[in-house]
Amino acid sequence: MELHVEREVVFPAEPAEVWEALTEPERLEEWFATEAELDPVPGGEGVFRWGDGEERRAVVREAEPEERLVLDWDDGGEVVLELEEVDGGTLLRVRETSPDFAAALELHALSWSHSLV
Amino acid sequence: MAIRAERLKPGTGNIGIVFDALGDPGRRALVASVAELGTATATELAAGLPVTRQAVAKQLAQLADAGLLGATRVGRETRYRVTPQPLGDAAAWLAEVGGQWDERLAALARSLSRGRAARRPS
Repeated sequence: MELHVEREVVFPAEPAEVWEALTEPERLEEWFATEAELDPVPGGEGVFRWGDGEERRAVVREAEPEERLVLDWDDGGEVVLELEEVDGGTLLRVRETSPDFAAALELHALSWSHSLV
Repeated sequence: MAIRAERLKPGTGNIGIVFDALGDPGRRALVASVAELGTATATELAAGLPVTRQAVAKQLAQLADAGLLGATRVGRETRYRVTPQPLGDAAAWLAEVGGQWDERLAALARSLSRGRAARRPS
């Protein structure tokens, strides 16, 4: 079972400005997380921390400057960020997919049965 | 919002308990059978399985402890039904992650407009 959250927002800014805000750690710290580390190239790693001690890690799956950024979360979820130049600025499309609850369940079943061997 | 600390992840919290209870193929099949039948007793379920009623009753009790099955005592038997908790977890994920993105995107809009103001020639 997978779930999706989708949002679309138009910002009155150039795609290049929005891309910077999505990929530069010091810019990410203005809106996404309290502390951010991100190497925005395919295979690059991201570490995000929040004030309450929450930490999430991700690996960059795709990075097309000013167009598309895809992160794989270490819990199995993913987030796709797409940019498109439109009248009045840049459209940002966000799609976050949950971890696959059913797949995680199967994985757990596997480790559970191996632990009996 | 203070819900970030309660982020739902497989392997933690309620979902972890659910996975533990469903870690056994036999227990998963029992949940599927109960879901298919609507409600069922250990006797009814054992009738179609190569295991004893006692073994089925024990596994049903474990699934009820994990919150996956609700139990109602009917006469001398306990009747089980599937509880909607895992669906509740899904709804909670949608509400939490959706709320986080609404907040983040509002903050991103503020960040971008500050960037514009800073770059504007004075």
